[in-house]
Amino acid sequence: MRDRILESKALSYSVAIFVLSLMMMPIYWTVVTAFKPDTETYVFPPVYFPSNPTFEPFRLLFESYPFMDYVANSLIVTVSTTLIVTVISMMAAYGISLYPFRGGKLMLLFLLATRIIPPLSLLLPFYLVVSYLGLVDTVLSMIIANIYLTYPFAVLIMKAFFDNFPREIIESAIVDGCSRTGALFRIVLPVGAPGIASAGIITFLWTWNEFIYAFVFTSTPKAQPVTVGSFDAIGDVFVHWNQMCAGALVAALPGIIFVFVAQKYLIAGLTSGAVKA
Amino acid sequence: MNASTGRAGRFRLTNPRYGLLLNIPGLLIVLLWVVFPALLLFAVSFLRFDNVNPVSFVGFGNYQRLWNSRVFAVSVERVLVFSLGSTALTALGGLVLAMCLSNVRKGGGLLRSLMIIPWAVPAVVSGLIWKWMFSPDFGVLSDLLMKARLIAKPLSIYSDPSLAMWGVIIVDSWTRIPFMGIILLAAILSIPDQIHEAARVDGADTVKRFLYVTLPMIRGPLLIGLMITTIFSFRTIDLIIPLTAGGPGRATYVLGYYIWDQITKSLNFGLGAAAGVVLFLITSLITVVFVYLLREK
Repeated sequence: MRDRILESKALSYSVAIFVLSLMMMPIYWTVVTAFKPDTETYVFPPVYFPSNPTFEPFRLLFESYPFMDYVANSLIVTVSTTLIVTVISMMAAYGISLYPFRGGKLMLLFLLATRIIPPLSLLLPFYLVVSYLGLVDTVLSMIIANIYLTYPFAVLIMKAFFDNFPREIIESAIVDGCSRTGALFRIVLPVGAPGIASAGIITFLWTWNEFIYAFVFTSTPKAQPVTVGSFDAIGDVFVHWNQMCAGALVAALPGIIFVFVAQKYLIAGLTSGAVKA
Repeated sequence: MNASTGRAGRFRLTNPRYGLLLNIPGLLIVLLWVVFPALLLFAVSFLRFDNVNPVSFVGFGNYQRLWNSRVFAVSVERVLVFSLGSTALTALGGLVLAMCLSNVRKGGGLLRSLMIIPWAVPAVVSGLIWKWMFSPDFGVLSDLLMKARLIAKPLSIYSDPSLAMWGVIIVDSWTRIPFMGIILLAAILSIPDQIHEAARVDGADTVKRFLYVTLPMIRGPLLIGLMITTIFSFRTIDLIIPLTAGGPGRATYVLGYYIWDQITKSLNFGLGAAAGVVLFLITSLITVVFVYLLREK
């Protein structure tokens, strides 16, 4: 009897829905607050279901702060980093996985070790280099930092995918006169697309979500990304909570979209990159 | 590089030189982007490098200062509490969700998406939105707890040190449960049904099968999840910066925050570098322990 209850679908659904509702509370609260007028924001007890939702916080957010610049900077940094990292890590993973060379194993170990070095520890030397090169307060400085932050994991994800790749397909293609590089573009890319997509999406999100390097490297809206700009609504004496939530939504939007559009790739990437490597 | 049809016979798939060639750009990244900054970090940790004095070599001077620093000792103690608490809560939450979702068919995709969302939100934004939830004046959490009659008046993590640590632990595990849940779910789903069937035939009930079949079968991924959660929470400050900024007092002043302060406020780069080396050494040690556990069958 006890086992029937423990293994019942009803129990699984109830517990999952209960825990997930708790976890969704902050998201719900951010969405609701972002559409509240001030009169419903600064009250206690709080208003759970706003009676007059408004776009005012968003309007004020984009009017009072250079939020458009933040979004543009974030996009530049994220798209460039993702393109660079995806191409380079794809080459590296293709090489490690399908053309084993001496030192390849060591390289892999090295990439794993890289993930253990705390980015926070390397923040200072990175900053020294960036300021030596005169790159402080540029988007380029963040592209450089994010390449380091995302490259190792991207290789590990793709390697896990390429390892499962049927070698015979490539072998027969090469025998049929296809070059190795041709095999990469004509066979491995199409068939390995899910792995490349996973690595690309995760790189994109990590770069978009990065904060500490961006905070230290940038000081003006000329280069600051959304994660840094999302502090704008928090003043020294007064916090515009509804505008802050509107900004938080803008900053969290790519992540939330990818979770629903590309859930499969995210899960596959995170599991293979972490567990199989 | 190109194989003409005529040479196809000599053309072997395993061409090590080609593999190495493809790895050269990546190798450059690792050398320039990781090895060089890491060496620079060690070098700076031996320098007096602050905003006041000229830069000079001080040997282990910075490490000595850390050893004698009360604030530094507090930050190490705080990060241990923080990381342990967060990892425990993450493991519990991740395991519960993974067990439930592995038993669910209809709507499982949607539930999985919901589970991943906190992972996809920038950590610094998580800190910001929880700051709003925790607000002592208009905070929804205080109201909910008061409605549930668990507390009498609004609580403030910004004035109560022990609540503050709980606050940051809850927020950190909120961001980490998704990853733990994902890898445990994948591990649980990969256990062959026959093993459970066999245990059932042998008379093992649900609890026994969880303890003696499921747990041992997911040991590897569970250890990896614990390792990643521990070392990642060890260096987390993204969400502490907006949430409590290390306070009240030094209640949430973790090791990472100490480093952050040296870099952004005190501008004592030598000391910050030495603390960065300590953070690196501690997380390496944790990794070594987990790798040892993973090797042992």
